[in-house]
Amino acid sequence: MPGTLIGWLAVLQEHQAAPATPFEVNFGLFFWTWVVFIALFLVLRRFAWPVILKNTEERERRIRHQLADAEKMNAEAKALLEEHRRMMASAKGQTHALLAEAKAVAEREREALLARARQEQEQILERAKREIAFERDRATMQLRREAVDLSLAAAAKLLEAKLDSEADRRLVTEFLESAEKGQ
Amino acid sequence: MMQAPNIGEVVMHHTADAYSFGLGEAFPSLNLHWERWPDLHLGPLVVNLTPTKHVVFLVLAAGLVFLTMWVAGRKLEQQRAGERAPSGFANAVEAMVLFVRDEIAIANIGHGGEKFAPYIMTLFFFILYSNLLGLLPHGSTPTGNLAVTGALAITAFLTIEISGFLTLGPGGYLRTIFPTIPGLSGPAGLAMSLAMGPIELIGKLVKPFALAVRLFGNMTAGHFVILSLFGLIFLFGHLPLVPRWGIGIVTSGLVLGIMLLEIFVALLQAYVFALLTSVFIGLMQHEH
Repeated sequence: MPGTLIGWLAVLQEHQAAPATPFEVNFGLFFWTWVVFIALFLVLRRFAWPVILKNTEERERRIRHQLADAEKMNAEAKALLEEHRRMMASAKGQTHALLAEAKAVAEREREALLARARQEQEQILERAKREIAFERDRATMQLRREAVDLSLAAAAKLLEAKLDSEADRRLVTEFLESAEKGQ
Repeated sequence: MMQAPNIGEVVMHHTADAYSFGLGEAFPSLNLHWERWPDLHLGPLVVNLTPTKHVVFLVLAAGLVFLTMWVAGRKLEQQRAGERAPSGFANAVEAMVLFVRDEIAIANIGHGGEKFAPYIMTLFFFILYSNLLGLLPHGSTPTGNLAVTGALAITAFLTIEISGFLTLGPGGYLRTIFPTIPGLSGPAGLAMSLAMGPIELIGKLVKPFALAVRLFGNMTAGHFVILSLFGLIFLFGHLPLVPRWGIGIVTSGLVLGIMLLEIFVALLQAYVFALLTSVFIGLMQHEH
């Protein structure tokens, strides 16, 4: 591009030593850039950033603080839960033991009650049997006596004879016994 | 009928630095030219400390950044004192500052990023304002100067390496140059570590070099495109009325589009410079 080259040269001639193309490196500008940049950096760090970022940094600090708090509380809660669990486990064990004991006691009590009830029942049965036997014997005796009396009355009527009552009774009793034997 | 000027000369002249400053023919009294100071010889290096047009705009950019932040800070303080909801300009500035701090600096540097946030925030807003100043009429882009972007890249380089050295210690820092090769030990590992040394060193230097060239290139290229497009108007100034105006209108539309793109690029390049610096700092901080 000869036109461009001539253009550069013309500009160079016009402004004697001024850099005429953007591709030239003027080392003096390093110095100025650093001066300006560092000055701006220091001034902003002193006067601008703290004010602008105050709220954000405070919020960040607060959040960090809250996070730490939350972590601590979480750890505490975990410890409490662990203790609670341990207590629950021990309580469960105790309950089991108590229940088992109560069951055993109840079982023993039941056994005893049953045994006593059975015993009483047998006693009652025994007594009843005895009474029945006694009543039966008595009834048999009474019946026999009445039968004798009836027989005697009947015999007296039949024979129309006056008989010695004691002798007759023996006679009839012997007859009845023989009749029983004969059966 | 106009005489077509040398477009290349105009483009180079407009994007180059100068020992002058002014608002053109509108305000002739504000047009300043100053003499170049004598050169300083620092060994093989010839340094001339004369402030140039770009220095003026650097100072202007820094002043505007400070003004913005200071006014925003005062407004925020007033709003907070009055317990009013944050609003308007101050709130917008606060949101941008917080974005740079949280999303660029802390998000990429990682743990301990708050320490570097003031540097990254200053870098971002300083570059942003420098980029945008070039879009104003008679403005100039200090970040379209290799010396300026180079100086900023060197601050980034020093921040990356020195903070890395302080965090990692001498041994840890040496491992960023002579890395331990996974799966290799003994003499073979040592040989590989030594062989990697020059590559790692080049890598360290390439990062700031890329930062400097990327910012410079992006800022300069936009101006080249805009000025070249405008050059079309003068190049075809001798045509009859209808095509002349047609070319003028089409070119102006294109330039408007490029200008809008340039606003985006100004933001993007400030973001990229701050982001990459943060990423590099973060890489060094968490090197194992």
